[in-house]
Amino acid sequence: MGASQSGADDRELMARLATGDRDALTPLVERHYCRLYRIALGYLRQRDDALDVVQEAFVKVFQAAARWDGSADAGPWLSRVTVNLAIDRWRRNRRRGQTFSPLAEGDHLEVLADHGPAPDRRVLGREAGERVAVALEALPERQRAVVVLRHYQELSLEEIAGTLGMSLGTVKSSLHRALHRMRATLTEAKP
Amino acid sequence: MILEHLRLRRRVSLLAAGLLSGREREETLAHLAACARCRAEHAELRAVVAAIEDDPLRSAEPGVPAAVLAARVAREVEQALAPAARPRWWLVALPAAAAAVAAALLVPALVKPFRPEPRAARVTIPPAEASALLEEDALARIERNLAREQAARYLSEAGEVLVSVAATGIDCDRLDDRLDVGAAPERSRELLEKRRLVVDEGGEAVASARGVLDDVELALRQVAELPSCVKRHDVELVQKDVESRQLLMRIRLMTRELEG
Repeated sequence: MGASQSGADDRELMARLATGDRDALTPLVERHYCRLYRIALGYLRQRDDALDVVQEAFVKVFQAAARWDGSADAGPWLSRVTVNLAIDRWRRNRRRGQTFSPLAEGDHLEVLADHGPAPDRRVLGREAGERVAVALEALPERQRAVVVLRHYQELSLEEIAGTLGMSLGTVKSSLHRALHRMRATLTEAKP
Repeated sequence: MILEHLRLRRRVSLLAAGLLSGREREETLAHLAACARCRAEHAELRAVVAAIEDDPLRSAEPGVPAAVLAARVAREVEQALAPAARPRWWLVALPAAAAAVAAALLVPALVKPFRPEPRAARVTIPPAEASALLEEDALARIERNLAREQAARYLSEAGEVLVSVAATGIDCDRLDDRLDVGAAPERSRELLEKRRLVVDEGGEAVASARGVLDDVELALRQVAELPSCVKRHDVELVQKDVESRQLLMRIRLMTRELEG
């Protein structure tokens, strides 16, 4: 399905949601659920928190469907809502003294088991995940969002700018600073 | 050279992130060929990007099916809307009461003065018809009780399935931290097939149980999706969902109510 077809379908689903048609919710969730989950998980690195955030994002989208600007694509809007909620959740966790904790062994194994890698690859994946978690934790909120949208969602600079409501120049400098800061953290963390 | 170096520094990061193309990319690559410092920086940034690309979370799948999430979202929206959508009782009750009082006072006066009907004019039901009506009434009561008993049995069986999942501690694959939930997924599927009989055919008799039945359906759908040897985390998700909705307690209370 092409992007424009997908956008048209999203518009139709959003229009139906705006009229209170709840049957439009399931196809919208099916279409965007996995993508939004990975954004939230990349940002928060907690499965339960990520699921909560995605659920909350769809609730917000449902409630705001009537106010949605039908000329825009729903995908970036959904991503934006999810990123903002992930940032809110992150702040709340930080106030409570909870920040990243490396995922439990089972979480990594589950993710990797779906793709059936060799055991040594699993271990490497888990180690990479833990190192990246520490480096992401050191980033300011917006820089982390830029990194997640670029490297967990493969979005272009323009798409990131549209999703986060930032200028192209700000996205470029945010990514530049984020990668440098991550490099410093990863270098410090090296055994 | 220094000015060019400063100008291209941000581009080195974008090149490492895979975001440069065309002329910008060519220029930056040419600069890297001539500048050892930027070349080293580029290599280090590439290592950062490679570490992110190795992160298993990039391909993570959510543990809850989309249909279950959609149902949760719909329920949350309904709960949020409920107080606003429900009309304030006095807005309905006061005009209704006023209309009832007015009708009681005015209608008999306008239509005809109230006179008790003579005894002879009252409709008398022949004994055979009266007996048929009584039988019909009795049959309706029996049907209602049967529907409620069936719903109680259904809830009780669903409760057993959910308890068996929540309480399982039997490892089936210790290395992969998986637990054995036995026949619970299969039983859930069977119960879901029965649900239509209980809910649709129960009609008004089981209307008070509709909320619990809907939540039980969601929980059974989650269990029905599980394999018999399931990751501990997935079992915990079901447990968490059941606990957050106080489902086992509600099943017990509703079962008692349905059994009278």
